[in-house]
Amino acid sequence: MDVFANLALGFSIALTPFNIFLAMVGVVIGTLIGALPGIGPVSGVALLLPLTFGMPPTSGIIMLAALYAGTMYGGTITSVLINTPGESASVVTCIDGYQMALQGRAGPALGMAAIGSFVAGTVGVVLLMLMSPLLARWALSFGPPETFALMLLGLTTVTGLTGQHALKGYISMVLGLMLSMAGFDIISGDPRYTGGIAEMLDGVDFLPVAIGLFGMGEVLAGAEEAASGQILKARYGLRDVWPTATDWARSRWAIVRGTVLGFVVGTLPGAGPTVASFLAYTVEKKVSRHPEEFGHGAIEGVAGPEAANNAATSGAMVPMLTLGIPGSATTAVMLGGLMMWGLRPGPLLFEKNPDFVWGLIASQYVANAMLLILNIAFIPLFVRALRLPYSILMPLIVIFCITGAYSQNNKIWDVGQMLVFGVLGYGMKQLGYSPAALTLALVIGPLAERALRQSLILSNSGLLILFQRPISAVLTVMALAAVAVPVTRALRGALARRARPAAT
Amino acid sequence: MRRADQIGAVLLLLFGVAYAATAAKSYTYWGANGPGSGFFPFWLGVAMAILATLFLIGATRSPGPGEAWLPSGHGLIRLAAVVGATVLFVVLLPILGMTLATALFLLGLLRFLEGHAWPVTLGVAVVTAVGNWAIFAWWLQVPFPIGVLGF
Repeated sequence: MDVFANLALGFSIALTPFNIFLAMVGVVIGTLIGALPGIGPVSGVALLLPLTFGMPPTSGIIMLAALYAGTMYGGTITSVLINTPGESASVVTCIDGYQMALQGRAGPALGMAAIGSFVAGTVGVVLLMLMSPLLARWALSFGPPETFALMLLGLTTVTGLTGQHALKGYISMVLGLMLSMAGFDIISGDPRYTGGIAEMLDGVDFLPVAIGLFGMGEVLAGAEEAASGQILKARYGLRDVWPTATDWARSRWAIVRGTVLGFVVGTLPGAGPTVASFLAYTVEKKVSRHPEEFGHGAIEGVAGPEAANNAATSGAMVPMLTLGIPGSATTAVMLGGLMMWGLRPGPLLFEKNPDFVWGLIASQYVANAMLLILNIAFIPLFVRALRLPYSILMPLIVIFCITGAYSQNNKIWDVGQMLVFGVLGYGMKQLGYSPAALTLALVIGPLAERALRQSLILSNSGLLILFQRPISAVLTVMALAAVAVPVTRALRGALARRARPAAT
Repeated sequence: MRRADQIGAVLLLLFGVAYAATAAKSYTYWGANGPGSGFFPFWLGVAMAILATLFLIGATRSPGPGEAWLPSGHGLIRLAAVVGATVLFVVLLPILGMTLATALFLLGLLRFLEGHAWPVTLGVAVVTAVGNWAIFAWWLQVPFPIGVLGF
């Protein structure tokens, strides 16, 4: 069968010593980044992106994807032991994971999470492997209107789901699109919004922005306080970590449900691992025969969400690889990386760069196996890393941001850009804007503009062309609905607020 | 945060209007073959202006001043110190070179902001400066800025 031949090709690439080494580096750094509060998968991918310039793209994506998977495993450690999420997809794990740790069951909580993550991660890659080629083949028939509608859907759903302030999300998104217009126009070649600065002719560079918003910005958000949590003591022998028979019985179906739910949510543009983990927790609580135990150390409350967030990382790669639309903030940064390596994301990727796609897929099996071993046998190492004071870590991350931003073009201008976006990212975070939506828009902006302009050239009825073709009509309606839902909710809220003073 | 939202909304509104005006004035809205280089930016500027106006109305109507968004006192000093040190780093980068600037930056932050002991400070500063050089300059062949001291 086709898939097996491709997978064999993938493994022949993923199993070269250099790529195994990079996957190893990715999972270890990923687990660390996931475990350390303050930096999560997006920062991790942005910070490691500069290291990939000297490598073949396949090796680069293998390292970054391994890192992404690793953060999902690592985040659990902090949630369970400190009651502080290591990254946002493990927020919900704090609820029952920390309770389990207080009851002296930190070992099984971490063990079950690692096993659940492994199962979900592996099944997720299987689904990614089976679904992506089909989706890519289907997407080959897409013309400019479908492409634009799809991008619109990606932009609106990401924005609608991030942050509590829908309006600030949309503002961030439009700001990202506006910034992406700077530099040469791809169709006419006219320079735009350069302010007469020569460096701006190439536009707002993606890498300094990503490093600034997610690396520097996070550092600044953490800089104001020297956070320190109490790390609960626990035993991490293999026997202490291995779940009991009861744990297995209770978690089995939670992992299955989490896997399916997580993958599906992950593939949706806009909803990534964080949303998946919250949904999985809600589902587990609903279907459980003893919902009263949730919040008091129910192991399903750890197993389900942890499976879901790992399956979602595989799911999020589906639209990135097949459609060129990122499904989450992290995949948006990866997509930026793909473009910097000179690859064109989209359905043609499967035909033109099979070694890249299949090398990545095969390496994800390897990475998940490595992560299972790492997170069962080497937990104490990561716990020790958590003791590294933030006051030392923080300046180190700044150095990494500066060097990383510099290394792409060897220009100090880029370092300045990084710093500006670092301060901007901090402000946006504090004020409730969405750096993720801005980044996504910055990546998609030029592509969306080209698709829109080509659609209008094709069309003799203006924007109506989006509704005249079945696929683009469905996608456009979905995109409009994604805008309408939060807006009507906000309007209703505003009306209710206005009505209340009159009533009292 | 209400005041910050209002100021933000006004700035974004002005930005949106200026952006759309630039597009309309300096770039082609509609060319011979269809939409030109000013088409999409114009509508983006308009969209931003509309969103910012809605935002301004919403922010002004919000019931209270809301939570503070900037830290105060000690937190603000720490924030300013990190930003200031990084700005200084970038400014001094061409003069000192990457390796020396890295070491001095770490020295300053670790010793004077975080109050680590000298051995820890010096250890981290030297190891990082050398490690950073090893990864980027030696392994990845990035030509680091060279300082006046020749490295």
